[in-house]
Amino acid sequence: MSKLNKIARKSTWVDMTAFVDVSFLILTFFMLATKFKPPEVIKIDNPKSVSSEKVDDKDVFKVSFDGEGRVFISFSSDKEGKEKAQLTAEVLSRQKGLGLTPAEISNFKKFSVGGIGVPVSQLKSFLALSDEDYKKFKQPGIPVADTLNNQLDTYINALLTGTGGRKPANVMLNGDNGTKYPYFKNVLAAFKKNGIFSFKLITSLEGVPTGTPLYKKQNAQAK
Amino acid sequence: MAAIEESGGGGHKKGAGVKKQARKDARVDMTPMVDLGFLLITFFIFTTTINSPKAFKLNVPDDSAKDDEQTEAKASGAFTVLLSKDNNVFYYEGQLASDGSNFKSSSFKEIRAELLRKKANTPEKDLVVIIKPDENSVYKNVVDMLDEMQITDIRRYAVVDIFPGEVELIKATQGSSPAAK
Repeated sequence: MSKLNKIARKSTWVDMTAFVDVSFLILTFFMLATKFKPPEVIKIDNPKSVSSEKVDDKDVFKVSFDGEGRVFISFSSDKEGKEKAQLTAEVLSRQKGLGLTPAEISNFKKFSVGGIGVPVSQLKSFLALSDEDYKKFKQPGIPVADTLNNQLDTYINALLTGTGGRKPANVMLNGDNGTKYPYFKNVLAAFKKNGIFSFKLITSLEGVPTGTPLYKKQNAQAK
Repeated sequence: MAAIEESGGGGHKKGAGVKKQARKDARVDMTPMVDLGFLLITFFIFTTTINSPKAFKLNVPDDSAKDDEQTEAKASGAFTVLLSKDNNVFYYEGQLASDGSNFKSSSFKEIRAELLRKKANTPEKDLVVIIKPDENSVYKNVVDMLDEMQITDIRRYAVVDIFPGEVELIKATQGSSPAAK
């Protein structure tokens, strides 16, 4: 045999097993780390803060306002949140003579996970919407601008009346970067009026700047 | 293409004398599996919220408390920060002079140095920072300022309504100088 014939043909097969291993490892990581985005009907761009405390998602009452100043309330989807939404709807129905049917109250519970932002007067017609229409419906927001007719106060008052003064474990404020200060002030006023003096602002994390007192304090604690 | 090979010697040539064996090929083409894997990864990446939101605790005072129960702030330890439109920041120390001479302009970048200077020069029990957002400031400004309190580790601060006189001063300053970025 001549030397020419002896040139071994290199195989073009690539062993992909390791590749598969890695890809499924990453896949597993994402599956475990994933928390699905809740259905948001409102687009909110949170401000940043150095606070690193995790947001608790049990028994939450959340007030959100978007860039246009539309105010929404929402409850968490767990048992306590559902119960509080139910109580709020019942009390509102009684106090304001809305005459909500059980089906509408159950809609209130369902919509309250995504956010409810309508004046009390429109609540009944709003709760008659189907799930599809709810997503499309542009809610006007709960009116807060007028101090005499701050309806967020009405909602919170109904909530606290329903629970007999028991406040939700986590009262949160979810505000948009671009909201003008007066809206924030009016939301605060509604909170204060109902005796809620401690709550949490939802922010996204940013690093603590080096050299500042907080940075030194955290470093000292870590040691 | 991609496959698992049964033995390492893929390109191995057999000698002339070796008997030919009809070996079944045990290679499995892994390409679709990789495709599927990455498809799922992409799906999860897009549905994941990477930045989980954080909570920033805020306690507000009870406004209905009687006047004599309210804590009096010493003028010497007071540091007032005013927030206005276009992220403008103004501040003054102590009480605002009647001619507005101690009213100074600043920015979110520079205010930290001022706060730290004030903190270093004031006994801790006297120091109180008063944050006054005007109606053109946005929520972000207020949270940034509260955050600044965390960063500089200032315990006593309050968000208070702005006075008309201060609004006038801000307007006058903004009218004369271009908006700071």
